[in-house]
Amino acid sequence: MASFQHPFQCVKYTKQQPSGSAGLLVASAGRRLYSYSAVDGQCLDAWPKTVESSSEFASNDQAPAEKRRKISPAPDAQKEESKEKPSTKKASGNQLPEWTNIPILLTSSNGKHVVALTADDKCIRVFSLSEDGKLDEISSRAKRTMPKRPSALALTPDGQTILCADKFGDAYSLPLIPGEYTPRVEEAKAFKPAATNLTVHSQRNLQTLKNQITQFEKEAKKSSSKDSSTDENVASGFEHQLILGHVSLLTDLIAVSLPTDASVNRSYILTADRDEHIRVSRGLPQSHVIEKYCLGHTSFINKLCVPSWAPQYLISGGGDDFLLLWKWNEGKALQKVPLEGVSQESEISVRGIWAVSAEQSAGSPVQTILVGLEGSSTLLCYTIEEDTLKHQDTIQLSGNILDLAGLDSRGSIVISVDNIRESGSTEAWKSGPEVPQTLLEYFQVTTDQGSLKWNSAEDPLVANINAAGTSAIATDVDDKQKKALDGVLYSGGVLRKKQFGEDQ
Amino acid sequence: MATPPSKRQKREEYRRNLQNQYDAHQTPNVEVAEIKMPQKRFFRQRAHANPFSDHHLDYPISPAHMDWSSHYPAFLDPDTSKTTLGGARKLLKDVEVVDIGCGFGGLLVGLAPLLPETLMVGMEIRISVLEYVTSRIHALRMQQQKLKNAAIAGTGATSQDSNNTVEQPAIEDEVGNTTAVVPGNYENISGIRANTMKFLPNFFDQHQLSKIFVCFPDPHFKARKHKARIISESLNAEYAYALRPGGLMYTITDVEEYHHWVLRHFEYQSEEEKDRGGVKDLWERLTDEELAADPCVHVMSVETEESKKVSRNNGNKYVAVFRRKADPEWST
Repeated sequence: MASFQHPFQCVKYTKQQPSGSAGLLVASAGRRLYSYSAVDGQCLDAWPKTVESSSEFASNDQAPAEKRRKISPAPDAQKEESKEKPSTKKASGNQLPEWTNIPILLTSSNGKHVVALTADDKCIRVFSLSEDGKLDEISSRAKRTMPKRPSALALTPDGQTILCADKFGDAYSLPLIPGEYTPRVEEAKAFKPAATNLTVHSQRNLQTLKNQITQFEKEAKKSSSKDSSTDENVASGFEHQLILGHVSLLTDLIAVSLPTDASVNRSYILTADRDEHIRVSRGLPQSHVIEKYCLGHTSFINKLCVPSWAPQYLISGGGDDFLLLWKWNEGKALQKVPLEGVSQESEISVRGIWAVSAEQSAGSPVQTILVGLEGSSTLLCYTIEEDTLKHQDTIQLSGNILDLAGLDSRGSIVISVDNIRESGSTEAWKSGPEVPQTLLEYFQVTTDQGSLKWNSAEDPLVANINAAGTSAIATDVDDKQKKALDGVLYSGGVLRKKQFGEDQ
Repeated sequence: MATPPSKRQKREEYRRNLQNQYDAHQTPNVEVAEIKMPQKRFFRQRAHANPFSDHHLDYPISPAHMDWSSHYPAFLDPDTSKTTLGGARKLLKDVEVVDIGCGFGGLLVGLAPLLPETLMVGMEIRISVLEYVTSRIHALRMQQQKLKNAAIAGTGATSQDSNNTVEQPAIEDEVGNTTAVVPGNYENISGIRANTMKFLPNFFDQHQLSKIFVCFPDPHFKARKHKARIISESLNAEYAYALRPGGLMYTITDVEEYHHWVLRHFEYQSEEEKDRGGVKDLWERLTDEELAADPCVHVMSVETEESKKVSRNNGNKYVAVFRRKADPEWST
């Protein structure tokens, strides 16, 4: 029986800056990263290279990396990972990578670098991308494993710094190319409990304090070399700096450059969290100055989008049944755009918001905002006219939308669709794979008297990629593994707050 | 045989009676004979709350949606056509002073006569404690009303009134009984249940506040819990957002280690750190002379419930106040 193939979790289109060839498509599926020629869809490279034999790969596919966690975070953050179980089979020969998927993928604006996050090891990896599509990981001496699971990555407008937002509410900056790094040596201080008998009074607390002091005296005698209080910092021996934080779960982060009246560009960092906040901070190195909050959502926020062709606008969406259009540097909501009636799911969750500027053979480029909902095969299309989002014809896909890449210079978009699950569902698997499996779809824009339409088109780019396929998922996955795979692709819903009873 | 009422029942009944007392007072021409201050023992709650969990909280979508009208009825804008985005009536002025983690509200009650024309709010995450603060403020306002009425009626009534108070010794737990009319009549203070670590920007606009107080915060002794502390680099950026330039951030703690933590998070510890820059660019510490000249510092050090408790236990008090500097020039 034919087996399902991993759908493309992320798709990005990139063009090398000065030379201006046809460009490349970079995509992640399963635990691998692929680069394709954007002309004919020929696979140019794949990473990691060690995963070669697909049959062997398939049988071990569901083996996730062991969780290595130093301190215990909120239990809900790791639920879906702990659901997976290590496979009993052992990899023969080739060592399998220690992650199961690549949820975040970025390309630099000059097209020379790719930034990817491997999920289970929380590791940020940077690749150089050559003109002929070769992916080479820029190895740093220390693996850049983040302390908490990153939820969004972005590059600063100058392209030299990676910004990383995590599930713990913190955002960090890291240099794109890791340089030499000597960790600041902090003097090992002798432990002194923060509490004293002046500050704690109850019997139990006093007893605890006494125990603490004796315990530390014992440990101090045993060895003075190991400092238990600082091992959290030592664990990450690479350059990264905390730039801002929310007391919430960060869901998205974008870096924006906004032209001012004085013809200088100001850079900003926009962060969104699970508690309905969008924070507008200054760009580095002044990210501690909060300029505005954009407040108006009533459920978690999942995606922020500032179109490069209209950087004064922000479109935000998440668990609400509406999108908000903002003049973000004034913190002003311009429009509430209802999403009702587009999804059968009672609880809407926005999966992605993409700004595409599709060039046409004649006339000015068609600038559109495309919005995909989680577990929906209908893609919503809008244009921005006079401070409002205007609804355009929707795009119907063969499966749930996963990601989208605009091939701006060709006036087209490539959409990654879920080939495994029934369209409209995040958990119902198809009975079997179609042949060939549709992983990507191609649409071309046309305009007719102001209204615009995206037409499905045949293109060698997607035809060849679909024919070549990605790596296979084992045919014998059980329900638990299926659920884990569902959780990898559809994670928006877990952000929704549960309604508790009155608490104390 | 009927079992004695449970603690919970007693509490509920007690709170109901308090509410009735307040409601009765709201009806005109009904003179409440004796105004009782709430007793803390009916409002006790565990001292800690998890700031990261999704409490069942009410918070406005944005400051422009916030309904303050029920909190400060004396400051209602007479123009009823002016409403908030939520449709509630507007006030004549904005709230300017916040006590983060106000506890039983001692600081608010102490500050109220000092800044009678300034609206102040205490924010507290623990639900019972906040209920106490609300009842306390209601009772204080009623008492003030009664005292004022008595004063109008004539001096005889006032003396008789004060005699009454002398005759019945105040119950120890009923703190804050006043026998004099104070400026502002406690109409300028209120309490709100909120998780300020998450939702401060939902209540206050950019540069709305002139003072923020953080008095005897939960020390979260364990290093693992330090993220839950109310003072942190990330949160200090939020306090700077809500405070206007020149506004003051007051802190007091009885834990020496926490005091150093506070200093570390508001002041650069080395030249090298200063060169790197960060949120500490936005703050400067007040000198001891400035502290001595500020009556709010005195109130903070002696009037709050926690500070009284620390004094009783001969503990130390560490005060640090920081001024919010103007935003730096844009670096481009």
